Amino acid sequence: MTKGNANIWHVGDDLAARYAQGVLPEPDAWSLERHVESCTACASRVSASVRGTAAGAVLTQVRDAVLAALPETSRAFAEAGAPRPALPSARAGAPRGPLAPPTASRSARLLWAAGPAVRGAWLPAVLVVAAGALALSYGAGLPGARALLLALAPLVPLSGVALSYGPHSDPLYEVAAATPGGGLRLALTRTAAVLAVSLPLLTFTGLLLPASGAPAAAAWLLPGLALVLGSLALASFTGCRAAALLTGGGWLCAVLAPVPAAPGGAFTARLAEQLSRCLDGVGAQGAWAGAAVLSAALLAARRPAYDRPLR
Amino acid sequence: MTSIRVTGLRVRHRRTLALDSVDLDLGTGVHGLLGPNGAGKTSLIRVLATVARPDAGRVELLGEDVADHRGRTGVRRRLGYLPQEFGYYPGFTVREFVAYVAWLKEVPAAGVPAAVERAVARVGLADRIDAKVRTLSGGMVRRVGIAQAIVNDPGVLLLDEPTAGLDPEQRVEFRELLRELGGTATVVVSTHLVEDVAAACTEVTLLAGGRVAYRGTPGELTRLGADTDGPGDHPIERGYTAALRAHRAHGTREAVR
Repeated sequence: MTKGNANIWHVGDDLAARYAQGVLPEPDAWSLERHVESCTACASRVSASVRGTAAGAVLTQVRDAVLAALPETSRAFAEAGAPRPALPSARAGAPRGPLAPPTASRSARLLWAAGPAVRGAWLPAVLVVAAGALALSYGAGLPGARALLLALAPLVPLSGVALSYGPHSDPLYEVAAATPGGGLRLALTRTAAVLAVSLPLLTFTGLLLPASGAPAAAAWLLPGLALVLGSLALASFTGCRAAALLTGGGWLCAVLAPVPAAPGGAFTARLAEQLSRCLDGVGAQGAWAGAAVLSAALLAARRPAYDRPLR
Repeated sequence: MTSIRVTGLRVRHRRTLALDSVDLDLGTGVHGLLGPNGAGKTSLIRVLATVARPDAGRVELLGEDVADHRGRTGVRRRLGYLPQEFGYYPGFTVREFVAYVAWLKEVPAAGVPAAVERAVARVGLADRIDAKVRTLSGGMVRRVGIAQAIVNDPGVLLLDEPTAGLDPEQRVEFRELLRELGGTATVVVSTHLVEDVAAACTEVTLLAGGRVAYRGTPGELTRLGADTDGPGDHPIERGYTAALRAHRAHGTREAVR
């Protein structure tokens, strides 16, 4: 393990010479390039070696040319197509651009954090739900596809949260639990990622489907949010998996249970009617908004529970 | 300086008592945690990693009481932890994976790329930094686990069976890294390989049945083995079995009394 160690390992003259001649094996060259990014002494040693090769003379010419052209640079580059002197690569036969330092912007890191959330089985499942609803409607000519989609849609972000956070689903959970950012912050980041994918996708799919008595395509947004927040709050008591099962099961009971007993019509028509009762109108949407706010408040109060591993 | 102070620690695991009245003071250096399976090594490491909550007793890390929320957050930024069962995201590259853990540990964003490369170089994976973790061998994955643990230059580093899956040459290199890390940090290594302890540790703590059975230096444990004719192929192995037997005999006498 000392081999790549920045404290012990340094570029010797022989290594630098072989690098300059372009005869160093690719992996060793990479190690060397990584090392000289942070070690000034070795960087100067390698520079000196490169200047000693044929490339050195070319580099000097280029440098002189660039310095001579400096006052006219802006004009020269403004003219499209002005030929720029190509920098000769020090490694013969393997020309490549200068090594860009790895960019670790904030957004990229957030993407990593969210990455495991939208991985694996969940993303295909979302696409299957969306494509399935469209196929039922336009392929099979089923009139009540939107009702089915609305009944299933709130379960999609719920399952995404359950599949991305917690000891049962996150392989890195034990490591994350010992970090300051592995608790509620990570859970919320992944929830946001799951919502960012599922809310627009399923709402847009709903818009493409004929209404046939079902509520508006966006009617599930507040219930979806309330169920996800409720599930996160509940997870502080029961763990993510049980919480998602409870809230998702509760939702299915609310919309499906009265359907078989309801009078008349096709199954989807009765489902559409039941969904209207649950989703349509200021009262219903207001209640869902209230539930979302209450869940958020409960989650904020239960925040310390996320500081230790959930069940 | 004492960076780990444990007093009267009791931990239940399911229905059994995993640790009972454990008192420990550990400072800078490499501390080997030995003991038979089920002795409570992993329970102790998980409590020290602030992952498991103790049922009784007090745990102070780097001068902070970890029962206190604010203290715990501060400690976690300066903690490195490699669990026994190390899970990872197979689709991440080594660089992405270690950077992700640096993000979780709230390493200042500007320093993350350099910290990641340094940590990966220290475990000897500089040439595989942009390889996907799933393409690495078991020993290399283990080293990625060590890299993620040291990416924040931890003051307390907890390694649960870190040499499992390493070949003999890698183990020798790993011990060298341990000695280097132990120069500035408090490193706790749980292991069942007595020779790792003899080669790399400055102190040994032997756990048995959830209690501290023996504390001393590897040299003292070796001398204990030289004076007894217990089973073992190496003096320190004989010392290990002798200390364990002495602890059990003592426990039996206590029970009879």
